[in-house]
Amino acid sequence: MRPRLILASVIIPLGLIIAAVPENTTKPYKLTAEQLLNELKTDQQFVHPDQVADMLIQKDPSLQLIDVRSSAEFEKFSLPGAINVPLENLLSEDYEYYLNQDIKLNVFYSNGSTAANEAWMIARQLGYKNNYVLRGGLNFWVETIMNPQKPAETSPNEELARYDFRKAASSALGGGGAIAPAAEVDVPAAKPPIIKRKKKKTVQGGC
Amino acid sequence: MGPLIVNEIISANTNLLIAFFIGIGFGFVLESNGFSSSRRLAGMFYGYDTTVLKVFFTAAVTASIGLLFMSLFGWIDLSFIYINPTFLWSAIGGGVVMGAGFILGGYCPGTSFCAAAIGKLDALAFIGGIFIGILIFMEGYPLWENFYKAKFMGSPLLSDWLNISRGLLAFLIALVALGMFWVGEWAEKKFAREDYEINQR
Repeated sequence: MRPRLILASVIIPLGLIIAAVPENTTKPYKLTAEQLLNELKTDQQFVHPDQVADMLIQKDPSLQLIDVRSSAEFEKFSLPGAINVPLENLLSEDYEYYLNQDIKLNVFYSNGSTAANEAWMIARQLGYKNNYVLRGGLNFWVETIMNPQKPAETSPNEELARYDFRKAASSALGGGGAIAPAAEVDVPAAKPPIIKRKKKKTVQGGC
Repeated sequence: MGPLIVNEIISANTNLLIAFFIGIGFGFVLESNGFSSSRRLAGMFYGYDTTVLKVFFTAAVTASIGLLFMSLFGWIDLSFIYINPTFLWSAIGGGVVMGAGFILGGYCPGTSFCAAAIGKLDALAFIGGIFIGILIFMEGYPLWENFYKAKFMGSPLLSDWLNISRGLLAFLIALVALGMFWVGEWAEKKFAREDYEINQR
C-alpha cells in the first residue's frame, strides 16, 4: 500500500507538469563548428552556374533563387525568378516560408560567394533543408554564363560542348548583348525532379 | 546536448562501455527483485505475483516522464531517439511466440540469463531453447520472410494517433500504470497461494 502511495505522489505531480507544459521543439544547434567547417571545406553547398542556367532554361519549377544582396542591388540586376532576401533580414519571419521547406532547391547568391555562404551557414544551422550556394556568385555567373570565353580549338570536346551550352544559355538568359527578356515567364506545372537530401543519422538500437 | 553519441560527445566505444555498466546494473536490479525466480515471473499470468508488471510499468513511466523533462530542459533531442519500426504482423506473431515461451519456460530472455548467472539449470535449458529458436528462425528465413516484412507501418506514435501531446500521453499512461498497480495488488490477494511466499507480506 505505502509504496504505491509514494510512487503516486511522485509521478502524478511530475506527470501533471509534463502534461501542462508545451513540448520543447527548439533545436539548440544542428552541427558543431567542426562539422560545419568540414562541410564548407568539402564544398558540398555549391551549385555550379551551369546547373543553375540549365534549370532556368528548362523552367524547372523546383529551383528557387534567393538574392541575399540589398534590395537596391536587387533592383538593378537579378537573376530571372529570384526573390530578394537581404542577408540582414534572413531571420525575419516573413522569409521563413521560403527557407524552411523541403520541396524546392534554394540557391543563395550574392556578388561573390561570401554573403551567400553566410546565409547558407545560418540556414544550415537552423536545420533548414535543400539550401545551396551559387558557386562564385554573380561575378562568376557573368564570367561563365553571360560572357563565356571561347576555348582554344585544341580544347577537349567537353570544353567545347560546355562553351556551346553557355553561349546558348547566355542568349536565352539575356547575356552577351542580347536583349533582356521580359520579366517572369510563366512556369509550367512540371513535376519537380528528385532532390538530393542529406541523410539524417539516428541512433540505431533497441533491446 | 544529448544523445551523447549522435552529437559526438562520447565515442561509440565509450557508449559500449557505458552500456556494459548499465547492463550490469539492469541485471543486478532484476536479480534483487527476484526476477531470477521463474515462479515469480509465471505468477504474472496466474495473478498471484504481479511484480513483473509493476517493475516494467514503473520503468516505462519513469523513462517517459524523464525523457520529456530532459527534452524540456534541452538536454536531449527527441528527434534523434531511435524508435523501433513497426511491422504489424511480425510484432503480433513475435508477441505470441514470446508469450507462449514465457508461460512454458517461466523466463523471458533477459531474466533467463539472470537466473543462469546464479546457477539455475532450468534457465540454462531456456537459453538452449533461445538458441534453437534463433537457429530455426535463421535457417527457415525464406519461409517466413514475407510474413516478417508484412504490413510495415513506419514508426507510429500513440500520441500522434490520439492527436494529443506527448506530455499528456505520458501523464495518462502514468495514471493507467497506477491503476494497474492497484489491480495487481488486488489480484495478488485474490489469487494468493499457500505455497508461495516471496511477495506475501
